[in-house]
Amino acid sequence: MSETAQSNHTEKKDFLVRSSSLKDVRTFCREVFEKLQIEQNLKDELVLAIAEAAQNIVKHAYKDDPKTDDKMVVQISCKDNKLQIGFYDMGTPVDPNKVKHREIDNVKPGGLGTFFIQEIMDAVEFKDGKKPWINHLVLTKQL
Amino acid sequence: MSYKVDEIDNKRVVHLNGEIDMEVSDKARNTILPLIEAGHEVQINLSKVDYMDSSGISVLIESKKLSEQKKTKFELIEVSKPVEKVLAMARKFL
Repeated sequence: MSETAQSNHTEKKDFLVRSSSLKDVRTFCREVFEKLQIEQNLKDELVLAIAEAAQNIVKHAYKDDPKTDDKMVVQISCKDNKLQIGFYDMGTPVDPNKVKHREIDNVKPGGLGTFFIQEIMDAVEFKDGKKPWINHLVLTKQL
Repeated sequence: MSYKVDEIDNKRVVHLNGEIDMEVSDKARNTILPLIEAGHEVQINLSKVDYMDSSGISVLIESKKLSEQKKTKFELIEVSKPVEKVLAMARKFL
């Protein structure tokens, strides 16, 4: 499946929708970014953005079902130096209009994850989930 | 994540170790907040934390806010590079 760094490359993996899976999500991303020879600084940022998006699935899409056996899929694609990360889940439908980081002058904890994702990535887009998926989030970054 | 707490007079130095994410942030919260609640001056040593996400940052924000309410001192010491980067991104919230 994989080719040389920064050429066309796609990998995906599924994970149980649990907070205990977040470490595995990070490990998967680090391994893929190693193959893509992405430099350390950017790699750390991308891993954080992906882990935050996965955390949002656990925390929000499965808020009412924390012991689910459902899985989420993380797909990392790199084509022509454009990195695209897809997230698929079968949780509660996300209303993209309600996904915002909080105001800067509001110092309550929470909402930081979305802020990090928006800071790190070039684009954040919710697409219609095609069956069996309910939510399909796509993060994009030009390398 | 593992941790140890050093006691120096009224000061408590919490040494956190490992990765701090949603899975372990409650453990960090339940370690730090009661120390502040009890009126201790708290330092968090982050030299051995190699990953921290928004859950960990939220614990630090809560700790800082509680220390302001309790009028006690709260500070981060020996911040590792990975944590420093995340803190820099979150600086607007701190």
